[in-house]
Amino acid sequence: MNYYFGVLSVNVTVAGSKIVKVTIGSINDGGNYRSQSIDQMSIPQLEQQAIAAQSANIQGVSGASYTSAGFHQSLQSALTKLGL
Amino acid sequence: MSSPETGSRHSFHRDVEVMGTVITIDLYGGGARDEVITARRVDAAELQLQLADEIFSTWKTQSPLSRLRRGDLSLVEVPDEVLDVLEACRCARRASQGWFDPWSMPGGVDPTGLVKGWAAQRALNELRGLDLTGAVVNAAGDIASFGGPDVGQAFRFGVVRPDDPMKLACVVESPGAVATSGTYLRGNHLINPFTGEATSTVSATVTGPELGLADALATALAIAGRAGMEFIDALEHYEGLVIETTGTYVESQGFQMLENLLI
Repeated sequence: MNYYFGVLSVNVTVAGSKIVKVTIGSINDGGNYRSQSIDQMSIPQLEQQAIAAQSANIQGVSGASYTSAGFHQSLQSALTKLGL
Repeated sequence: MSSPETGSRHSFHRDVEVMGTVITIDLYGGGARDEVITARRVDAAELQLQLADEIFSTWKTQSPLSRLRRGDLSLVEVPDEVLDVLEACRCARRASQGWFDPWSMPGGVDPTGLVKGWAAQRALNELRGLDLTGAVVNAAGDIASFGGPDVGQAFRFGVVRPDDPMKLACVVESPGAVATSGTYLRGNHLINPFTGEATSTVSATVTGPELGLADALATALAIAGRAGMEFIDALEHYEGLVIETTGTYVESQGFQMLENLLI
C-alpha cells in the first residue's frame, strides 16, 4: 500500500465476523520526514475503535499515529480479501 | 467512541474524512426533536474541518498556506484564518518557551502542529448551544470536547501506550482538550527547534481547555521530553504527561490520572 510517506501494510485479526486486532505489518517511509507534526496528521479511526473496544467506559482515545488514508485503504483491502 | 456503556447517552456519530485522516464527531444526550438542527450544526462543524484542510494543507500546492510558504501570497493577502492560526502559533511558541516553533521548520512557516487541534476546536464550538450533555471531536487522537457522556459526568479518554499503540497506557478525565504527540510509531519525525535536528523521544500528552494550544504543547513536550515539564508547570490550566522509552511516567504537578494501566 503506497501512502503519502511510503509503503504500509496492515494486518487484521478476525474472530468470527469481528475485528479483534489491527496492526501495522510493515512500514517503509524511506527515512522521509516532513515536519514536526507529521505524526499528528492522523490516527486511523478503525485502529482507535479496536483499542477502545478493549477498554470499557472511555469515550475516545488520544495518541499519535500514522497518517492515514494509506492505513484506511490498506485496512479496507485486507477486509475485502477476508470477505468482511 | 460509539460503544455503549453505562451512564452514556451517546446519540450521534459521524466520520469526516479530511486532512488525510478520519475525524470523528460524537454527541451525547439531546433528543429526536432536535434532529434537524443537530444535523445542521454537525454540517457546520464538518465545514470548519474541510475549510481548515483547504486553507492549511501543505500537500495541496494551491492552498493559501502553501502559497504563503512559497511567497506567492503575502500576509495581507491570506485568509483571516491564516492570521488567526499564526497568532495562535505565536502564543504557543511563547507558552512552550520556544519548544514549539513553526518558524523553525524547513521550507517556511509550518503551523501543522497546531492546525489540526485548532480546527477540531472550531468544529466543536459549532456544536455548542444544542441540547446536549456533551460533544467530542476526535481529530485522529487529538480530542476537543465539552460536557460529558451524561449529566454530571466528565468524559474519560484513554492515552495509548507508546510501545504498543493497540493498548492504553492510562485513562484521564477530560478538562476539554486532550492531545498526544509522539515519535513512537513513525520514528524520528519531530524536530528540535533549537538544533534543527529530529529528536527521538517519547509520547507526550497535554490536557487543557483548548485543543489548538494543547496540540502545539503536546508537540513541544514530545520534543522536550521531561525537561518540558518546566513550561507546562508554568502554565495555568494545562497539564502534561510524558511517557519515556523506558516506560517511566513523568507528570506535571497537577496532572490527574484516573487509571494507570501500565502498573
